[in-house]
Amino acid sequence: MTTIRFYGRPGAAIGRQTELALPEGRCSVKTLRQLLAARHPELAAELLSPTLRACVTDTIVGEGHVVREADEVEFFPPLSGG
Amino acid sequence: MSDARLIAAPFAPERELADFIDGLDEEGAVVSFVGRARASAKSGADVTRLFLDHHPRLTRRSIDEIAAAARTRFAISAVRIVHRCGEVLPGEAIVFAAAAARHRRAAFDAADYMMDRLKSDTFFWKREDGPDGSAWVEPTDDDRRDLERWS
Repeated sequence: MTTIRFYGRPGAAIGRQTELALPEGRCSVKTLRQLLAARHPELAAELLSPTLRACVTDTIVGEGHVVREADEVEFFPPLSGG
Repeated sequence: MSDARLIAAPFAPERELADFIDGLDEEGAVVSFVGRARASAKSGADVTRLFLDHHPRLTRRSIDEIAAAARTRFAISAVRIVHRCGEVLPGEAIVFAAAAARHRRAAFDAADYMMDRLKSDTFFWKREDGPDGSAWVEPTDDDRRDLERWS
């Protein structure tokens, strides 16, 4: 199972942390988003939006990045501090 | 001298400024900024509480990086950033940013730069809570334009 963490709005809507079994133990970030969107159709638009950035091991990654079972994937909505 | 902190409890910005000045040497200019939580949203809705969601590592790291970048980019000799996380009540300080330099221009520019980046380039997610519900705040076009001034 891969651990997925959400912050901001999706974190409040889905929950801070969820787990997901990846097809064949690995998939791209793009596929991961589609799996999450299928699980949470009410948030599909946000989960598939490029403004929701994916992060693996504290590094922002692109859509083609391959996620593995042991990875922790985090999703960041647009930042707002100050 | 570079001091960047992420804190969950209220702090007194006037004490931060006094302490920052106490630690200075021959700097002739100090510029500081205090951001405070407002009691109303842009829409006009009442805000009774602000919540700043943050990342356990990256938030702190991004604040450190902004302080270090200000030191590199401008002719300043000291910076201090204090940023709240968690619950913030209206009137409380959310952020304190200060820069000190031999001359004022670098100190003004550094404080301006740090605030533009703290606003939309640090790992915070801000939610406004009020009697009519909660709303997550996203960066505005103005925030993005402010950030682009430094790229």
